[in-house]
Amino acid sequence: MSKRQLAMVMDLNKCIGCQTCTVACKTQWTNRNGREYMYWNNVETYPGTGYPKNWMELGGGFDAAGDLQPGVIPNLEADYGVPWDYNYESLMGGQADSHTFHPHVSPTWGPNWDEDEGAGMFPQDNYFFYLPRICNHCTNPGCLSACPRDAIFKREEDGVVLVDLDRCQGYRYCIAGCPYKKIYFNPKISKSEKCILCFPRVEQGLPPACAQQCVGRIRFVGFLDDEESQVYKLVHKYKVALGLRSDYGTQPNVYYIPPTESPAKFDAEGKIIEGSTRLPIEELEKLFGPEVHGAIKTLKAEMQKRKETGVSELMDLLIAYQHSDMFRLDNNYYQQVAKENKRNPLAPVDTRYIAGKFTTKGHTQTLFGGHTAGGHH
Amino acid sequence: MKKLLTSILALGVCASAALAAEPLITAAKVANVNDATVWEKAKFETVTLYPQTAIEFNDKKANELTAKAKAKKAQVAAVHDGKNIALMVKWADKTKDVQGIKCSDTYSDGFAVQFAAATKKPQPLPYIGMGSEGRPVIVHLQKATAKVYEPNGNKDVGMQINRQQTGVFGKELADFDAKVAALANTDFERVFVAEGFRSLTEIKDKSVQSSAAMTYVPGGWNGSLVRPLKDQYVNLNGTVPVSIAVWDGTNMGRNGLKNLSSWVAINLEGQKPNAAMVAELTTDAKGDAAKGKEAAMTNGCNGCHQLEATDAKSFMGPALHNAGGYSTAAYLRESILKPSAVVVPGYNRNAHANTPWYNIEKGKRVSTMTDFSFLDKETVDNIVAYLKTLKAEAE
Ligand code: SF4
Ligand code: SF4
Repeated sequence: MSKRQLAMVMDLNKCIGCQTCTVACKTQWTNRNGREYMYWNNVETYPGTGYPKNWMELGGGFDAAGDLQPGVIPNLEADYGVPWDYNYESLMGGQADSHTFHPHVSPTWGPNWDEDEGAGMFPQDNYFFYLPRICNHCTNPGCLSACPRDAIFKREEDGVVLVDLDRCQGYRYCIAGCPYKKIYFNPKISKSEKCILCFPRVEQGLPPACAQQCVGRIRFVGFLDDEESQVYKLVHKYKVALGLRSDYGTQPNVYYIPPTESPAKFDAEGKIIEGSTRLPIEELEKLFGPEVHGAIKTLKAEMQKRKETGVSELMDLLIAYQHSDMFRLDNNYYQQVAKENKRNPLAPVDTRYIAGKFTTKGHTQTLFGGHTAGGHH
Repeated sequence: MKKLLTSILALGVCASAALAAEPLITAAKVANVNDATVWEKAKFETVTLYPQTAIEFNDKKANELTAKAKAKKAQVAAVHDGKNIALMVKWADKTKDVQGIKCSDTYSDGFAVQFAAATKKPQPLPYIGMGSEGRPVIVHLQKATAKVYEPNGNKDVGMQINRQQTGVFGKELADFDAKVAALANTDFERVFVAEGFRSLTEIKDKSVQSSAAMTYVPGGWNGSLVRPLKDQYVNLNGTVPVSIAVWDGTNMGRNGLKNLSSWVAINLEGQKPNAAMVAELTTDAKGDAAKGKEAAMTNGCNGCHQLEATDAKSFMGPALHNAGGYSTAAYLRESILKPSAVVVPGYNRNAHANTPWYNIEKGKRVSTMTDFSFLDKETVDNIVAYLKTLKAEAE
């Protein structure tokens, strides 16, 4: 377990499914061949097949006894979807053979393929909500436990889970072991890659790109032990933010405020059924565990309190007035850690991430050539 | 020998497999190991490669595919020219699996040849597969992979770039593409040094000048390796212990999901063989296997280890139902007497929280297995002889 843990809270009542977070992540981190199909951040419609397809049925995670469960590794074409491109060049270049856009492959699947189908009967009781997902930077990561090469590590200073690309040999047991299927195989370099919680940004005091760009301002980022952080207040003080599928035993560190504000159902005459909600509580219980009842109760009570008295710290938090409050990332903290470890806080990429944890024998070359693993610059 | 045969038959273990001690390979002295014609005259010996089943990994489909894995027979020959040693490994594989660059769940066929760094004393040799503390191994790995888009040709993932973000356009991009095509590395060849589980480290500084290749011929693969007899990692002379592993992509093989031989002795022609090493690697274990089985039961080995393939899996300790195939008698003996000499980490360090395979004491893995050095020598010999009978039948 790491000394401190960075965490993110996502308020599902506010996510509008705009995918701005997805794009922010994608443009920031698809800087290497083979990452094209990976959505480190994705926003799926719930209920739905999700991304990768039916990820909740692919195994991994731990059982009640703490034993890692076997899992299935998704197929790029069938379960993630091959990323396709259009013939921009020939079209823009005015080549005679192409007057229309067409994709370079015939896609059969992709993220959000079954967008917004949801469940129930339209228009009486249909429902859906958006579920943005990133790697949970678990306290007990299934990916890490599954790796026979010790190529996955959890940073001491903030609990960020990273793949040591020097040690990774592309065995992919991590993918089987992650119950969220949030670790991906890069077939071009034959190594696993995953969300890095934008640690190079975080170390500069900036939130992860997905959180900063979020249009709905649904995301809060901070250290779980920082009582001043909104993350702490939402998770520990008000207990309204819950882990996704915490029954997988990985102790996820991305927390969700469950959706409470779904529309009411219609009766046979098309009239609103007072007090009804379209979201079946069983579905929420499946995702967020039995604590969801308490969380919803607290949320409703605070809403009521706000209506009656005009005061509610919880509502103020959830309105998310200021980025500076939503993201409490003590820049000084990382500078201190860097100093203690004789690391350059401005290093664009963590040396451990690229150069290898155990490669101290001088057999490796690092990203910047000439330098050895460990301290440099 | 007759007595051993009867008792083995009584145990219901494949008699021929149990009796076949590993062959002795002679590396003929040739003028130049890189001359392909040397293999026409080379003498191939049959080496059996056993499914490595000590640890179960968490890939559901792979586990289903390999549930009843059998041993494979490979044909192995070696030559040397005084400077370099070359090996040729031929093994049957009905399906050619090349790891593509557009798929997340396919695996390649591959093979590896392993050398022990210290080769003077046969006891103890490094742990087969991963080496052990103070007893390093060098592993040469070759996988069948498709062309890799690798701009700098150095397997340096930090320099991988995306063409959308290269910031070069037009002619520059074309030049860049041409350079990539020229540098694209079709060859997934890796060399590692290891000194025990989880210490496998890729040697990237080109300090090992080796060259491996795989060619698919109808029905199987021919894998070759050329490496120096002497470099900063190994100094091969007299009798060289090597071990061979092959992977089958169809069975989603990779890492431990493979077939592995025991240490096999190769005599370098024209040099004085190491008699002790040859004896250790080519003769059967002394001891009475039937009595050894009894002793294993009375001492409760099956409480933690899956001994025979038919026993229920427990994974409280490494499964031993193929241990007789790929382990030397000396290693098995050492494991009984000094369980912490080589510790196999479970596939999952968090599993079995109440019954871990090992504890970390002063930074070292200490096995939770009792040390059985209180047993008399004969009983240990018998148990070793029994364990040596534990191995899958060959395909
Ligand atoms: S969500 Fe998956 S990939 Fe991320 S830390 Fe947890 S187990 Fe690992
Ligand atoms: S940017 Fe924010 S509101 Fe938009 S999909 Fe992502 S999490 Fe939801």
